[in-house]
Amino acid sequence: MAASAFLFAAHDAAAENARGAELAAMCAACHRLDGRDRGIPSIVGLDQQKFTNLMEAFRSGKRSSQIMNVVARSLSTEEIAALAAYLAAQQKGSIRP
Amino acid sequence: MNCWTRRQFGCLAGAACLTAIAPRVAKSQPKARVVVIGGGIGGATVAKYLAMMVGTIEVTLVEPKPRYTTCFFSNLYLAGMRTLESLTHGYETLAQRYGIKIIHDFAAAIDPAGKTVALKNGATLPYDRLVLAPGIEFKFGAIDGYDEAAMQTMPAAWAGGPQTELLRRQLDSMEDGGVFLIAAPPNPFRCPPGPYERASMVAYYFKQFKPRSKILILDSKDSFFEQDLFQDAWARLYPGMIEWLPGQFIGGIKSVEVKSRSIETEGGTFTGAVVNFIPPQTASALAKQAGVMDQSGWCPIEPTTFESKLQPGIYVVGDAASAGDMPKSAFVANSQAKTCVFAIAAALTGAERFAPHLFNTCYTFLAADDAVSDAIAFEPEAGTIKISEILISQVGESVETRRQVVQQANGWYDAFTHDVFG
Repeated sequence: MAASAFLFAAHDAAAENARGAELAAMCAACHRLDGRDRGIPSIVGLDQQKFTNLMEAFRSGKRSSQIMNVVARSLSTEEIAALAAYLAAQQKGSIRP
Repeated sequence: MNCWTRRQFGCLAGAACLTAIAPRVAKSQPKARVVVIGGGIGGATVAKYLAMMVGTIEVTLVEPKPRYTTCFFSNLYLAGMRTLESLTHGYETLAQRYGIKIIHDFAAAIDPAGKTVALKNGATLPYDRLVLAPGIEFKFGAIDGYDEAAMQTMPAAWAGGPQTELLRRQLDSMEDGGVFLIAAPPNPFRCPPGPYERASMVAYYFKQFKPRSKILILDSKDSFFEQDLFQDAWARLYPGMIEWLPGQFIGGIKSVEVKSRSIETEGGTFTGAVVNFIPPQTASALAKQAGVMDQSGWCPIEPTTFESKLQPGIYVVGDAASAGDMPKSAFVANSQAKTCVFAIAAALTGAERFAPHLFNTCYTFLAADDAVSDAIAFEPEAGTIKISEILISQVGESVETRRQVVQQANGWYDAFTHDVFG
């Protein structure tokens, strides 16, 4: 039992990471994932809670940004969580695209 | 260098894993072969993300041109705000960093049954999955007198490169007081705001150097994307310089005469010192040959995978695809490409599939310090793709807001081209 529970947990973590990576690929159309900021802010290595709060503010409209309002409203709470975990785990310069 | 993704695969949190979407396979297992045709935004994005995120796939990209000049932002070159070199990107990084095999040749024919691509040089490429990103072609023959030869006098300039340079030279040598004619195509066509951004950016140039000149847009349509934003900007920034004549006024474009640089419509003949003729468009002939094009002239796709509805195993992304509400833009091509990559990874490696997310953003320049944008999210719905969220700039925004969009647009160009070619 313990072993299979562990396997499920590992699978979930891998799936969440894969989901985070796929969502981050979408972000890469505007945000450089090497952490450089040449007019659009870097999102790599952002604190998980800070990122989640930001996305919630974009989603509710409390914070205004045409593009981020649209993006945040199209993501589920679970997707924002997967993306927050994924981006927080990255370091500047560690992702190629 | 492509083994970068494989080396990084084992990590979960804590390391660089824009990679971890495909499960491991034994080294002895032969790699699945994906051939991508077309090295524009859609095709280059597919090739890069397949190679980067799914290390178990062998990726070949077929593109005749050695370098790619973006059509987006090329109106800034016409305005003297950008060099063409700054809009031109090579394929070296895709080859060297991601291990993509780049073949600079034309794809001559596709055999969907035999799963092969014949190249112009005679070679044959076998594939397990084929991705077509062939872009648009002009419907020569739709307008009497407009053919490839006519393009040398009345350029279309609807792909970045020599045509854009030709149009710029013509505008440079035009005398002050001349008329610049733009013929805008019927829907659907590449870059819906493009013809009107072009009018704005050429007006920006005229205002500084040839202020007595006029711009006349002969449209096949009765309305156009972001019309209120453009017409507000034209009245504000270039009063009396730009005139737009809708389809119902001109009654349709019938023919062109190259010698006199004139366009004949139902409502009369218009002559320009410089003529930018943007013809009606269709998906490329290769799409037709491959059997992925329908009667509309475009390629219907499954909305969650971008696999052709007509030929299983062949995927179509970018301008050639008929994707519901999605416009033909570079951003859309990139977004579709990523969705397509995740679908191919799932089909070939058993990688888990997640709900796709499709977006568009277009930045449109009205002057050097005045730009607008739109942001759209799309969702697959009932076999097609529908807009789920949309926000567009508004008339009456502050000078500061518009300046911020300019800054954002330049940052986006850098990040976006890095995402595709870097």
